Amino acid sequence: MAASRSLGQFYPVASPLHELDARAKILATTALAVALFLVDSVAGFLVVAAAIVLLVAASRVPPGAFFRLLRPVALIVALTVVFQVFFSRGGSTLFEWGFLEIHSGGLRMGIFLALRILLLVSAAGLLTTTTAPVALADGIEDLLSPLEKLRFPAHEVAMMMAIALRFIPTLQEEAQKITKAQAARGADLSEGGLLKRVRATLPVLIPLTIGAFRRADELAEAMESRGYRGGEGRTRYRELRFRARDAVALAVAALVLVGGILL
Amino acid sequence: MRIELENVRHVYAPGTPFEIEALRGVSLAVEPEEVLGIVGGTGSGKSTLVQHLNLLLAPTSGRVLVDGVDARTLAKNELRRRVGLVFQFPEAALFAPTVEEDVAFAPRQQGLGEDEVQERVRETLGLLGAGHLAERSPFALSGGEKRRVAVAGVLAMAPEVLVLDEPTAGLDPAAREDLLGVVRSLREGGTSVVMVSHDLDEVAEVADRVCVLEAGVVRATGTPEEVFYARPAEAPTTVRVVSLLRGSYPGLGRPVRLGETLAALKGLLEV
Repeated sequence: MAASRSLGQFYPVASPLHELDARAKILATTALAVALFLVDSVAGFLVVAAAIVLLVAASRVPPGAFFRLLRPVALIVALTVVFQVFFSRGGSTLFEWGFLEIHSGGLRMGIFLALRILLLVSAAGLLTTTTAPVALADGIEDLLSPLEKLRFPAHEVAMMMAIALRFIPTLQEEAQKITKAQAARGADLSEGGLLKRVRATLPVLIPLTIGAFRRADELAEAMESRGYRGGEGRTRYRELRFRARDAVALAVAALVLVGGILL
Repeated sequence: MRIELENVRHVYAPGTPFEIEALRGVSLAVEPEEVLGIVGGTGSGKSTLVQHLNLLLAPTSGRVLVDGVDARTLAKNELRRRVGLVFQFPEAALFAPTVEEDVAFAPRQQGLGEDEVQERVRETLGLLGAGHLAERSPFALSGGEKRRVAVAGVLAMAPEVLVLDEPTAGLDPAAREDLLGVVRSLREGGTSVVMVSHDLDEVAEVADRVCVLEAGVVRATGTPEEVFYARPAEAPTTVRVVSLLRGSYPGLGRPVRLGETLAALKGLLEV
């Protein structure tokens, strides 16, 4: 029973974003990741942020659940902002106290960096919440397949990613079960100092690791017994189809990003 | 100790597309010194139900009473010691380098002295017929041996109520018989046992009372005779055989256990 849901996990509802071809979404997200480092103005960030907010609304994923994604990165963002603000110079001095100085340039850089991280995580979250893991893996395989000419194992990489994605919820469930079983034996993961807590996770981590290896063995055997021989000549049950609306979506994404960079 | 569930509802993942109402208002009591069998198909809510007995899961609504006191007001650790819960496939949670240490985990968490811990380990492994495995690695044991060690790991807390979720799933017939023997001897020693199973034949052998769960609702509770003879189509083999013969031989009574049933049938042959 999946009682808890992980951040960024596929959220199966019907929405225009869910309908799009995985490749279009992957390309758009990749483009955004690159473009974010070129955006360098308040107006530019506003354009990109507005686009992402609109997309979240269009995805029909509850915004509350979606933006919880950002909580774990909040600490990283806060730290980078502090470092940028205090340790980069440039522009006029806004504040001075002992060795601490805040410059307008540093402040600007700090805020922009925070926005970059937040927007990037949001976009990646948008991709994974609206794309089924299988479609995502198929999309990646397809996009990487030209590299096969250079002997890059596109199918194998995609298969590994697909399996890894597939087993995240399984391992989570397993971890939950083992945690409960140990809790029933009096294990307490929420008390004591850091060292004590780390030690307290061992009764969960050890069986979880052993179970993961066992599962890996079983999965390999199951795949072989069903005739898996790698990607050559393999067909798919669900074919990816790149339709007109995918092209339009990509074009719009490109326009927004170029707009964000130029502004 | 007596545990009572009062109109317990449990909803998984409320407010998401994954929402499932696993228990829809269950009222049920576990009486002192009884073996309560909980039966029902897959997805009927059996496993969800038993996790409420020691509050590993909290009811979405409704209450769990322990000797008349709301269980939420009790210390969780103490409650979990008094109500020992053995999950389905409990061997998946074995972790220590030796069997001895794995079984010692729970009593150590309880803060018992080392002498007492060792005593408990010896005692419970002995009760489960696993004393000879003490020095071995739990990962190198057979399936049946692992199961015994995992059950010992919970029994070592000396619980007043032992809850077993599908304890015999995947065991061979001999190992299953051994485990049912353990259930019987625990009951004789004054420990209540709650046994979840979908094997009606084994429930018939050990249960004092039976509770039938279906789609998160209690369909029936009572003695095995009452429950099984009310619905002979979903009853142990013994009950099905006797039900078919009872039309012609009303003197058969309502035997449930294999021994009783054989005695009743023998009576029939000797007339």
